[in-house]
Amino acid sequence: MRITLSVNGREHPLEVEPRRALADVLREDCRLTGTHLGCELGVCGACTVLLDGEAVRSCLVLAVQCDGRSIRTVEGLAGPDGRPHPLQEAFSAEHALQCGFCTPGFLMVAAAALEDDPGLADDPERLEAVVGSNLCRCTGYTPIHRAVVRAARARAGRIGRREHTLHDEPEGRDADGS
Amino acid sequence: MSSAYARREDERLLSGRGRFVADMHMPGCLEAAFVRSPVAHGRLREVGCAAARLVPGVAGAWAAADLSAVSSCAVPAIGLPDLPPVPPTLLAGLSTPGAVAGRDWPVLATDRVRYAGEAVAVVVGEDRYRAEDGAAEVKVVIDPLPAMVDTATALESPVTLFEGLSNVALEGSAGRPIDETVWREAAVVVEARYRQQVLLPTPMECRVFLAAPTVDGLTVWCSHQMPHRLHRELAALLRCPPDRIRVIVPDSGGAFGSKSPTFPEYIVAAHLALRLGRPVRWVEDRMESLLAATRGRGQDQRVRLAADADGHLLAYELAIDADVGAYPHLGSGLPLQTARMATGPYTTPRVHATVRSVLTNTMMTYPYRGAGRPEATAALERTVDEVARRLGLDPAELRRRNLIPPGSFPYDTPTGRRYDSGDYAAALELALRTLDYDGWRAEQARRRADPAARPLGIGLACYVERSGGEPGGLHEFGGVEACPDGTFVARCGGAAAGQSHETTFTDLVSEVLSVPATRVRLVEGDTGEVAEGMGSYASRTAQIGGAALQRAAKALIEQARLRAATLWELPVAEVAWSGGVLRPVRGVSPGLSLGELVRATGPLRVDERFEGDMAFPFGTHAAVVEIDPDLGSVHVLRLVAVDDCGVVLNPAAVHGQALGSAVQGIGQALYEGVPYDEAGVPLLPNGLLDYLLPTFAEVPPIEVLTTITPTPVTPLGAKGAGESGCIGTPAAIINAVADALRLPDPTLIQMPLTPDVVWRAARAAQGGFGGDGGTEGDQGVEGGR
Repeated sequence: MRITLSVNGREHPLEVEPRRALADVLREDCRLTGTHLGCELGVCGACTVLLDGEAVRSCLVLAVQCDGRSIRTVEGLAGPDGRPHPLQEAFSAEHALQCGFCTPGFLMVAAAALEDDPGLADDPERLEAVVGSNLCRCTGYTPIHRAVVRAARARAGRIGRREHTLHDEPEGRDADGS
Repeated sequence: MSSAYARREDERLLSGRGRFVADMHMPGCLEAAFVRSPVAHGRLREVGCAAARLVPGVAGAWAAADLSAVSSCAVPAIGLPDLPPVPPTLLAGLSTPGAVAGRDWPVLATDRVRYAGEAVAVVVGEDRYRAEDGAAEVKVVIDPLPAMVDTATALESPVTLFEGLSNVALEGSAGRPIDETVWREAAVVVEARYRQQVLLPTPMECRVFLAAPTVDGLTVWCSHQMPHRLHRELAALLRCPPDRIRVIVPDSGGAFGSKSPTFPEYIVAAHLALRLGRPVRWVEDRMESLLAATRGRGQDQRVRLAADADGHLLAYELAIDADVGAYPHLGSGLPLQTARMATGPYTTPRVHATVRSVLTNTMMTYPYRGAGRPEATAALERTVDEVARRLGLDPAELRRRNLIPPGSFPYDTPTGRRYDSGDYAAALELALRTLDYDGWRAEQARRRADPAARPLGIGLACYVERSGGEPGGLHEFGGVEACPDGTFVARCGGAAAGQSHETTFTDLVSEVLSVPATRVRLVEGDTGEVAEGMGSYASRTAQIGGAALQRAAKALIEQARLRAATLWELPVAEVAWSGGVLRPVRGVSPGLSLGELVRATGPLRVDERFEGDMAFPFGTHAAVVEIDPDLGSVHVLRLVAVDDCGVVLNPAAVHGQALGSAVQGIGQALYEGVPYDEAGVPLLPNGLLDYLLPTFAEVPPIEVLTTITPTPVTPLGAKGAGESGCIGTPAAIINAVADALRLPDPTLIQMPLTPDVVWRAARAAQGGFGGDGGTEGDQGVEGGR
């Protein structure tokens, strides 16, 4: 089938088999390999991308379902001038990644939540749902939680670019005593 | 590096520009799919690939017998033999020649399948979809044999996995047998049985391997912990001169011990790349991984622990039947690690541990984060708690009376280990203070007086583990080169899978050289760029690789001073080094930067092979849990992890790994396990919906603290880090649950502590099975299987 995907603002006219998952088409046909496949059953969320602004597991979506629609991947997260997204800065500052394989999925699911709800930092249940929706095997999650809060606050302009500290624990989940 | 990022690794990984093996674009690359046995045990009657070869987009399909018929090697320099078997892991005694003899592991099954998921054929296609189309057309006929998926069945069964050979692949022991009088005369003797369930390491990136033929050899990209081992073994297996093969580890999506062997799938892919003269890649998917990647733990343990009336431990006996899987090639010797660490952190004078490594119809057991030490810690710590309960002593107090005192190091244990350094009591006291142990005991007393209150339990686990590796593997390569442009290249024999080597080691080298870290670049995970290497396993890279780099950087400074002295015709003592600049001690010379020195005198490079020794990190983990007796659910209210890994090179990395491994430890204690059906097939049909990894929702408040007791075995003083949570946390949680339920017998609960297990144990502890619990209570005891 001939389809056109709009990925990170760029049109990709493609000939794809109807059975191909969006994740595979993004990775192999568009050569955007930042979207990773961790389970191919929609459980781990590593392949999360934004489809018309909504976070979806791209392993569970067929590329042909996305004809003419707008997709945003981790490669499109930074600003057009290359400036990192607040989430990218916050993930680094909070050590919210180790091997980095699951990271694009967490960034995209958090990006969707942030766009949708600028007050995310003050909504513990929503935060828990966002961070709890994907799997990470390295970090133990609390640094990811802190990073999302930090980005949400930075975006809301409340703390700006505060210096990183391991003692920054908005929800008191991971108090570091070292 | 942009200063916007805390780690050097971060910019690419956060922007989608990481380079994982599956991301690599390789024109003409074929993708491989394996056809796997649907049963655990059987005689392989037929593997028919003819129909698969007719599928559009399929470039080839082979069973074991077909592969020798493939045309000869496309690369003339390589004398490719027929498909060789999987090489045994003799390194560090993970396997032994005796265990392996007569028990070859074919890379594709020949006449018999011995575990569900064992590869029987391979199909390569233009993409993975085509390869899987082909795999679906392969005809496999297997006559089933009885499946033995646990040690008890395999020990009793008249059927053996290898005809004429026992299902016991290896026996071993540590310490001396204990005289019966010791048990007879002790004030208290606790006996118990524990099951250390099978776990799946589950890195987020499954296994992945890409082999591309070059003009005169082969280049391999693989997510791997030991690239030089893979290089060495591939060269031998493919009969290829070592300098014609290059192994590169690009970004790696986690390993946790599971990515250091030369797996059958890798051998097949490399073999086919050479035969076909085309790149061949295998990207394992999650369902394959759950079936056919290595597993961890898997021990059935019997223990006896004796103490006197004051709570001094007198003797400890541990008997292990280890479920090592179908082929003794990878981890049959691994349970000996548990035996050697059986002494734990206590002064127990008599300790004897025995191991039987039992073959079963399951995928191989292999190191998984902790690798033998979690099994030792869980068995000992659970039993210590029971001794305290029988003596009416507080579990913290019992431990205080038995911990090896700080003045006793080096300490030779009855099980043959020489502990290097430690202040075990300091870690215990810090954990107790941080937890507010006395406060929680008071709360527990309050709840015990209130029939409506939910049971609350407090669990401790003191642990000591081993880092660095075993004799024969205690060295590592580290090199530092000064470049003419004033930058430095550090080379290390490790290979990172998320451990922040780029950040940690460039910082370490820049600190020794006293130059900005931005001028240092790390090269590792590439056998074409790093002359030799052991790899990153056994918590060894900071401890031994770090010490190698420290020594190399110091040696580089000395060589630079020597050269400058010759240039200036001065005694070397009159040449000073500071901030990357050489200066005569006397006079007002502006000096010479190292870049200038190299431009003037030629390349300057130091390569070091550092030989270290084992170190023994330690700590105390403490957990508070609340039980819902009606649902059997366990809520971890608080977890404190005090770890001591000696000198800390990168506090953020060590903290992050301690936290991450504690969450893996929570998974082990409460959620993770592999049930098998009657045919010996893992009951995980829905993948990660069935194998339950912790999510954020399961993470309690965790406090990670550090005490610092340097190791004397290296000048750097660092011990290994990152495995502590898998070692200390499970035992602390299970002790807390046993404490909450006031279990009369530790054998009543086995990990994972699912609601079913806890619900049944709660009823057993009350002395009756109340209605529908009935005789099924005994099944609950087996837990997780």
